[in-house]
Amino acid sequence: MVDQTLDTPATLKSRAAEWAALPVRGVMRLLDWPMRLAQRIVGLGGMPYVFLLPNLIFFGTFVITPLIINFAFSLTGGPELFIEDRPFVGGEQYGFLFDCENALNVSTCREDRFWRGIYNTGTFVFFQVSLMILFSLITALVLNMKIRARGFFRSVFFFPVLLSPVVVALIWKWILLRDGLLNAFLTSIGLEKILFFVDPTWAMFWAVFVSIWAHMGFYTLIILAGLQAIPQDLYEAAQMDGTPRMRVFWRITLPLLWPNLLVVLVLSLIKGVQTFDEVYVLTGGGPGTATQFIVQYIYNTGFSNQVQNFGLAAAASMVLGTVLLVLTVIQLVVARRKGGI
Amino acid sequence: MADLELKSVRKAFGEVEVIHGVSLRIADGEFVVLVGPSGCGKSTLLRMIAGLEKVTEGDVLIDGDVVNDVTAAERGLAMVFQSYALYPHMSVYKNMAFGLENTRMDRVEIDRRVNRAAEMLRITPYLQRKPRALSGGQRQRVAIGRAIVRDPKIFLFDEPLSNLDAELRVTMRKELAGLHAELGGTMIYVTHDQIEAMTLADTIVVLRDGYVEQIGRPLELYNRPRNRFVAGFIGSPKMNLLDGHVAGSDGDTLTVMLAGEHTIPVPFAGGRAAPGDPVTLGIRPEHMSVVDGEDAPATIPVKVDLNEQLGGETYLYCTAAGLPQLTIHQPGQRRAQRGDALRLALETDQAHLFDGSGDALGHGRAAEHG
Ligand SMILES: Nc1ncnc2c1ncn2[C@@H]1O[C@H](COP(=O)(O)OP(=O)(O)O)[C@@H](O)[C@H]1O
Ligand SMILES: [Mg+2]
Repeated sequence: MVDQTLDTPATLKSRAAEWAALPVRGVMRLLDWPMRLAQRIVGLGGMPYVFLLPNLIFFGTFVITPLIINFAFSLTGGPELFIEDRPFVGGEQYGFLFDCENALNVSTCREDRFWRGIYNTGTFVFFQVSLMILFSLITALVLNMKIRARGFFRSVFFFPVLLSPVVVALIWKWILLRDGLLNAFLTSIGLEKILFFVDPTWAMFWAVFVSIWAHMGFYTLIILAGLQAIPQDLYEAAQMDGTPRMRVFWRITLPLLWPNLLVVLVLSLIKGVQTFDEVYVLTGGGPGTATQFIVQYIYNTGFSNQVQNFGLAAAASMVLGTVLLVLTVIQLVVARRKGGI
Repeated sequence: MADLELKSVRKAFGEVEVIHGVSLRIADGEFVVLVGPSGCGKSTLLRMIAGLEKVTEGDVLIDGDVVNDVTAAERGLAMVFQSYALYPHMSVYKNMAFGLENTRMDRVEIDRRVNRAAEMLRITPYLQRKPRALSGGQRQRVAIGRAIVRDPKIFLFDEPLSNLDAELRVTMRKELAGLHAELGGTMIYVTHDQIEAMTLADTIVVLRDGYVEQIGRPLELYNRPRNRFVAGFIGSPKMNLLDGHVAGSDGDTLTVMLAGEHTIPVPFAGGRAAPGDPVTLGIRPEHMSVVDGEDAPATIPVKVDLNEQLGGETYLYCTAAGLPQLTIHQPGQRRAQRGDALRLALETDQAHLFDGSGDALGHGRAAEHG
């Protein structure tokens, strides 16, 4: 007798699953003996480190090593590219960055472009972060209500996050240029054209605006998740008590959302301080140095100026890195505290 | 304190109607329990009374006034949620005071009410703690305290004990009964647990699939269930429901032939059953007993499946030819083993009869007057 297998949908499905499992099984077989070997060498207790190794190699190659090289560069001077040709100058580059006659007046500093970058970044981050959190919060609150086409609006607000920063900047440049969409609209309703990228205040305004537009979807999502984690019963309990809407917001929603808002604050601070590409494409740092931020200063100093000053750029990077490190530590502490609730 | 009336209340979520016209009258000070299996619409009904859910059709009346369009807050009711719904970031004291602060009540009065409720519920030592530092039972008390301080017209409870372990549930059940005696308010209590219903209620409302099956005092429901569903739902362990048909009737006795050819004469007050009609005989576990040997009327020969000895009482689970498993509840201790052959006598004056569509035809004489 011949054993006949009928091709019913069920057997086809299980056969497909078998085929899909083949490569997995193959890889497992391939990994089997090196893993056994590794375990014989390091013992069972050492295996976690073996599993961590690929990640550590990656992290070491692309994060730790460049950090060390960068630090080494920051201690050298001269225009040479290769570190073995560069003279050791100790903390001279840092001294140069911090050499100010009057600590309160940026223009008395020798490297005033560095301080102007910091000042501009500070202004930008202050407005961008505070306004973005405000708008994200409002948007999340609205999207959390039972409104029509809620799913559609949720994706609309998230889409810009998916765009590349360069694309975002080009879109808005197209709108804001001298003969752009917005000015065409202004002239059509009888107003005068505004040269947005010639006026320092307007340039900063649009840098902040575009950056908020591009990133708020991400933070809206985090806040929305936080809102949805608040049990509905609490609102119903408040409703039974006749709690006014504003009191519900201030006394229930906001306190329970606070951990999420802290995460959003620190994350957006970290990202804000690093802002470069979208503003660089949008305003080029101009007019003058009005929208030149710290990362652009580093880029210009190290790569695009006539005289490429790698040492100084490296030193400025280390300063920026320190700021980011502090913010990251805060973020980790906040995240851990949140987990403890 | 207040009375409440529902007039043909219906509720639909979109196209789907889940409450199909419920009418109900609850007197001032009454403890009413809405009971029914999960998903039958108890919570929905309670939430419509609370004002958290709009009534699709019909009227909700509090003290004679239609409140369909009155907001939850203005109805003056207080609700205790299944999840307790305590504000996790506020202390126990704040949780209880929060609702009162909305009314611009003066601080001293708030303080007085919170402290009084805390004392009543024995949570005074925990007033400054956050809810997460409390046990389940303590949280439950805080949730009840939050309702008490509002001095509501009616207390609403939605399965308040279902998150507690069995032992605590019994304790809290007693406390709730005590609380009702002390406060004297109107209380509407939702549960799927018929024991809670039996022990707490002045009046039980049995719901199934959005319909009221029966309304009555606990023992009324127990002694004279209006249909098969109520008969099976009220009482633990469940009533034995045995299918058969009418074999004959003479005046005040109806002879029932059960599946498996067991003939049972039932002394039966009133009836419209004719020979040949399908009937279901209902008999509670405590209304059967083990008798000795010979073939007497109203007895069934059975085999023991399982004997549960609790010391003070015994549950026997038995099978008989053609019938579903029978549960017998006997006081005291009984020696019987799996496989033993016994003869069960049915106290037929405690039996219930249901017709083919499940409605009660009548009850044995003792049940009728119980
Ligand atoms: N907001 C809602 N939207 C749609 N259907 C609902 C909603 N709330 C309850 N239901 C449905 O109504 C029925 C009754 O629910 P519920 O009152 O919660 O039952 P119970 O409290 O008795 O377990 C269920 O079938 C449930 O799925
Ligand atoms: Mg429910």
